[in-house]
Amino acid sequence: MKVKSTYFKDFINSFVSIAKGLWVTMTNWSIARPSVTELYPEEMPKLPENYRGVPTLPVNAATGRSGCIGCGACVRMCPEGIIKVEVDKTDPKDRKPAEFSIDISRCMWCGLCMEVCPTNCLKPGRDFELACYNREDMLYGLERLQQMGGELQVEEEEIAEPQDS
Amino acid sequence: MPNPYLEFAKQLGLIVAIAVAVLLFVMVAVLYIILKLRWVIARIQSRLGPNRTGPWGVAQTVADALKLFQKEDIIPCGADRWLFTLAPAMVFIPAYLVYVVIPFGDGMTAKSLNIGAIYISAISSIGVIGIIVAGWASNNKWSLLGAFRGASQLIAYEVPIILALSVPILVTGTLDLDKIVQAQAGGFWHWNLFNIHHWPMLPIAFLVMLIAGLAEINVTPFDIMEAESELVAGFNTEYSGMKFALFFLAEFAAGFTLAAIIVTLFLGGYQPPLHVLGGQVTAKLFGVVPLFSLISLGWFIAKCWVVVLGIMWIRSTLPRVRMDQLMNLSWKALIPAGLVNLLLTGAYVAFWMPK
Repeated sequence: MKVKSTYFKDFINSFVSIAKGLWVTMTNWSIARPSVTELYPEEMPKLPENYRGVPTLPVNAATGRSGCIGCGACVRMCPEGIIKVEVDKTDPKDRKPAEFSIDISRCMWCGLCMEVCPTNCLKPGRDFELACYNREDMLYGLERLQQMGGELQVEEEEIAEPQDS
Repeated sequence: MPNPYLEFAKQLGLIVAIAVAVLLFVMVAVLYIILKLRWVIARIQSRLGPNRTGPWGVAQTVADALKLFQKEDIIPCGADRWLFTLAPAMVFIPAYLVYVVIPFGDGMTAKSLNIGAIYISAISSIGVIGIIVAGWASNNKWSLLGAFRGASQLIAYEVPIILALSVPILVTGTLDLDKIVQAQAGGFWHWNLFNIHHWPMLPIAFLVMLIAGLAEINVTPFDIMEAESELVAGFNTEYSGMKFALFFLAEFAAGFTLAAIIVTLFLGGYQPPLHVLGGQVTAKLFGVVPLFSLISLGWFIAKCWVVVLGIMWIRSTLPRVRMDQLMNLSWKALIPAGLVNLLLTGAYVAFWMPK
């Protein structure tokens, strides 16, 4: 029985496949293919559009405060129990939080507080540089949350309106 | 009558000066080759590579070397102290000794031996003794395995190297590297690699030489000797500090040596690709004589650099071969090819070559 030798065929095949591999690396090396490295401290990384970071309270530019009505739904929902809200009850027609704090050191970014919020005033922020020097700074108060939230976007306002009325 | 002591002192001074100059050249070349290798591999993998130390990261290897200087020099308690200390030098010195016969430029050979090619193949195979000693003296199974693999790899690949080396030697008819380079003068079509109108088997010898040389210097497709994923770091597992730095230096110095040998034997050494670009014409134009050898040195370094970049390209592309594949490649492909090539070349030189 004659066994067909693949010696020379293997030889040629190996050269072809090595040439293919070398071509792939050559195109990576010579043609200006952008590097995937992020030079983070010098250049900010480009966050994806749907990045969901720390919960924040965006401020409505017209009224000068967030849409929070101090209902406490987020307090009850939070699995870690780290949200504290005290309601300012001076005007019963206009409930607003006197104190709103999130202990961000224990927050796990689950987003349940934002889902349950009836006025959609809790929004995921885009800030990710949250390092600080002591534990107390990680307890974010109302001012910090509003500052991180920035201004309320217009389309978000439209969603929030029917629930207000 | 000249004072014999003075003459001796002069000779000694000259030898030391040349040795120090070559050593400095090798050191600087290795420092830059390591940096360039990291850049090239990074670019091939779509990364940036070192860019923190100094402008664009150029001081990275210097910083690494300084770090290795500071490190504690550990000798494991079960190790053979003398051999353990001696091994890095035994690996580095052969890689450095090969430069004795390499013609860097026109008239820039440290010592032109008439058996230069034999000297090269003899000296470059001594390095593996240092590797075996390192693996044995470390008293570590990984090291010993790496050293054994290195020994079998060297035995397998020394043969095709010598077979490939013999082809340009037969065609040029001399073992003296200086004369081999001089025989390739007059444009790139006279270089041994491109000299196919003279003898078409020369490129095959080049290919065998390149593959076997890659195995000889243990770069990635053939680095089973220090295979990181199999043997922790191979023969240098137990080494730290300056001894490790010496191994590292020897590895890259051997890489540059391979490039220099390939350039000398196949790519025309210091000869310019066209006669016009050579030093002789320029020296006539500007009337500066020392410029002539400097330009030839420049051509030599430029060609070596191209070969070194090619080796970096190959080592960043190909995956590591298995032990049996490595042996198969040598005994079943390279050695038959080299033998047939040598036979045909010998017959050609004996019967048909125009005198």
